[in-house]
Amino acid sequence: MKIHVYAGLKDYFTPEFELAGVVNNTDELKTRLLAINGQAEMILSACRFAVEEGFIDNDFKLHEHDTVVIIPPASGG
Amino acid sequence: MTPSSSFPPPAAGSSAAGNFAAGSSAADSPAESLIADGPLDLAGLLAGAHHPAAGAVVLFSGEVRDHNGGREVSFLEYECYRPLAIKMIGEILAAAKEKWRLNIAVARHRVGKVTIGDSAVVVITASAHRSEAYAANRYIIDRIKHEAPIWKCEHYADGTHEWGNNCHCHTVTGDPAKHVYEAG
Repeated sequence: MKIHVYAGLKDYFTPEFELAGVVNNTDELKTRLLAINGQAEMILSACRFAVEEGFIDNDFKLHEHDTVVIIPPASGG
Repeated sequence: MTPSSSFPPPAAGSSAAGNFAAGSSAADSPAESLIADGPLDLAGLLAGAHHPAAGAVVLFSGEVRDHNGGREVSFLEYECYRPLAIKMIGEILAAAKEKWRLNIAVARHRVGKVTIGDSAVVVITASAHRSEAYAANRYIIDRIKHEAPIWKCEHYADGTHEWGNNCHCHTVTGDPAKHVYEAG
């Protein structure tokens, strides 16, 4: 599974990386991410997740070949 | 389950970008132009935002100021998740056009380095009367700032930088997908 992160998340993770193994949903993904960097807990709790340019929730079944974009709170304008 | 954005579908007959209604006097604008890598041409955008049925045109320019939170700011740097930002801004414009029956709704957001005094985002709305143009303009910029996946990094005069001034609505709503807006 490919992971892309943006903005403040880059202080905790490299912008693009891959996760091996089974990750079924966003809750499991958060757990895997926190195992990489537990200091990201606060910002991850405020993030949304997207696949194929659409937001997903924890009911969305993730697959090995998905690219998951992790989206921190916006600050445009 | 299919991934989706959290916005109402564009109004029937609206373009993918949602920028210009059929019969608009403004030139068509491809969705990709909603995000700009270079300076925004405010005068050019305004010149193209007139419509024979519109008695009011409102332009909002969000510009980079030289201070924030008591700190001297040197410049801002914006980045975005471009495909979703384009999709969401297009949907926001389409929703505004439908809600206020706008003749024209245009938005364009910078990415990359934006210097003090430069425009980072512009929103132009045109409608028959000013109340709708003002309200729609506020609605569009508020939703872009809160919802579109665009982020700014503040670079300070002391050489430090910080991703900041993010939307904090989740601390009130408990849900990163739900927002609280100043405008009604």
